[in-house]
Amino acid sequence: MSASNNDISVKIGPVAFKNPVFLASGICGYGEEYASIIPQKKLGGIVTKTITLEPRAGNPPPRIRELPTGALNSIGLENVGLDAYIREKLPLLKDLEVDAVVSITAETEDEFTRIAEAFAPLEGYRGIELNLSCPNVEGTALDHGRDPAYVEKITSIVKERIPKKTLWVKITPNLADVGLVARAAEAGGADAISAVNTVIGTDFDLSTGKPIFARVGAGYSGPGILPIALFKVWEVAHSVSIPVVGIGGISSVEDARKFFLAGAIAVQVGTALYSDPELPIRIVEALRAHPEWARREGGST
Amino acid sequence: MNFTRIEIPKPARFVSTVVENHQLSSRYFLMVLSKPEGFPDPAPGSFLHMAVPTSGRFFLRRPFSIFDCNGETITLLIVEKGEGTRILRELGAGETVDFLGPLGEAFPLLPGQRILAVAGGVGLAPLYYYQKFVSRTLDKRVCPECYQLVYGGRSEEDLFLSAIDLADEGSLLATDDGSYGFRGNAAQLAEVELERNPVDALFSCGPTPMLKAVADLAVQAGIAHWVSLENRMACAVGACRSCVIPVSAKEQAGKDVKERYKTVCHDGPVFNANEVIWERLPEP
Ligand SMILES: Cc1cc2nc3c(=O)[nH]c(=O)nc-3n(C[C@H](O)[C@H](O)[C@H](O)COP(=O)(O)OP(=O)(O)OC[C@H]3O[C@@H](n4cnc5c(N)ncnc54)[C@H](O)[C@@H]3O)c2cc1C
Ligand SMILES: Cc1cc2nc3c(=O)[nH]c(=O)nc-3n(C[C@H](O)[C@H](O)[C@H](O)COP(=O)(O)O)c2cc1C
Ligand code: FES
Repeated sequence: MSASNNDISVKIGPVAFKNPVFLASGICGYGEEYASIIPQKKLGGIVTKTITLEPRAGNPPPRIRELPTGALNSIGLENVGLDAYIREKLPLLKDLEVDAVVSITAETEDEFTRIAEAFAPLEGYRGIELNLSCPNVEGTALDHGRDPAYVEKITSIVKERIPKKTLWVKITPNLADVGLVARAAEAGGADAISAVNTVIGTDFDLSTGKPIFARVGAGYSGPGILPIALFKVWEVAHSVSIPVVGIGGISSVEDARKFFLAGAIAVQVGTALYSDPELPIRIVEALRAHPEWARREGGST
Repeated sequence: MNFTRIEIPKPARFVSTVVENHQLSSRYFLMVLSKPEGFPDPAPGSFLHMAVPTSGRFFLRRPFSIFDCNGETITLLIVEKGEGTRILRELGAGETVDFLGPLGEAFPLLPGQRILAVAGGVGLAPLYYYQKFVSRTLDKRVCPECYQLVYGGRSEEDLFLSAIDLADEGSLLATDDGSYGFRGNAAQLAEVELERNPVDALFSCGPTPMLKAVADLAVQAGIAHWVSLENRMACAVGACRSCVIPVSAKEQAGKDVKERYKTVCHDGPVFNANEVIWERLPEP
């Protein structure tokens, strides 16, 4: 089984990862929750739950509904906040030997600056993913995820403070032109574009006639969004020359391969982890057996 | 109140096979699974997160409380609700199932104290297992005689008398339609029983209105109450924050916390009832 020793490591910005398979933000919490269930250290890494400067309680329940093609969620960025993350969660990642990318978001430039400054002197993480695309909260920066000038500004503020770490900018698929925002992130110094976050959708309760979720709109994820995500990744890959991390609807090894064909250099597994926690490891093993399936360099074909 | 949390083993993913799917009534069945190697002794109140084996469509896993667990098997008591439980019911002996577990916080051990456990419908599972667990654990801290189970179903059919002899095991039984035992629900029977035999604590699991009624009984009697709650789940390990319920907020470090949520999967499913905000409990 020499194939299983194939090098499938991947460099994204200044940082090398052992393979191109990650868990998506919000899926695996802070790394500790799945520790006894899947060997996360065999993955390229995990992206931890998006954190904000202050802790957030999140949205009132219900927060999740299943669909035959995936799920709708309205978590509302429940998170422990910057201080508790650094104090309690970051040290755990080291114990778990997991390579982590920290997902962050904020409402103002000043908040982004403060978060980036807090991480600047720290070790124990490989990079930051800027979540400029969560559909489930009313925060100005999250709406500004649509504004190219703002995206460029925020990206450069964060990158300046963590030059040796990798910086990924995660974009929403809920835009006609994802290339515009992706190019802005590239101009701001992003090392990669993570595409995509959830697709906005909703659902109604026939017995009450009311929307299921208090905020009406919710994030659609899972197998049903695969074609949307693949196309957005293809568009982004043709718009920028930095690497693209493909996310959305991956529920098989074959789905993951399609992201490499669309131009991604790495993939993140999301909702499918809940039904099939072994999937990310199976993707790693398949890529080790067939390293030609993976793509070693960013940019379009 | 003096209580001991039962130590919870770390969850893992297990693959097992169906030993038997035993239909108990038109809606209920027992799913007996072979106990996989390495599966730790689950505490009463713990649950499994079962994959729904199908290639037809996307399914999140489905949570089910452990009804019994011995050296060879793990048993679940399942009521058919929708497609997921139907697919599980249709599995035959020898078919493969895949689950995460054991998950969640358990009912506590209450050394030397009398407990009245109130179960409605499928809520029987964790409270039945508690009784088994306590009588098997030759632990001096607990006394099996101190545990009285009250169980209520819609009608005689839902008491599964032929399969599980609850009456023989000393449980008090109620039916909504009065076709067997006390006429009324388990909470109403519990109220009568409490007058006769006061206890130190209540446990409950079942439909929300019944749980709420038990909570009122506990407040009136001024005794402790632990309740097992349900909600829709995605991860079942505390990662995704999908399954939260609002809990009463306390002042934290001088800040007025408006909202506070706990996960049913990881902080629960067993909660101290005094932190549950009944008016705002989501309907799964
Ligand atoms: C901790 C926990 C322990 C549980 N233990 C048991 C048990 O021992 N035996 C048992 O039969 N059931 C138990 N349940 C409920 C069980 O998980 C649901 O009935 C099941 O997931 C429904 O799946 P379905 O595909 O058949 O129904 P679906 O088609 O998904 O839904 C049908 C209806 O079932 C209800 N429902 C759906 N999901 C849940 C849920 N997670 N919890 C409660 N109601 C739900 C809703 O009213 C819904 O409209 C438990 C739930 C939790 C959270
Ligand atoms: C329950 C849940 C929580 C999520 N939380 C976050 C989050 O905190 N930050 C983020 O950037 N994306 C979050 N996402 C989006 C995922 O990271 C991913 O982009 C999206 O689900 C699409 O991938 P999938 O179809 O494979 O799930 C969340 C998704 C789900 C289902
Ligand atoms: S189901 Fe994910 S936190 Fe409870």
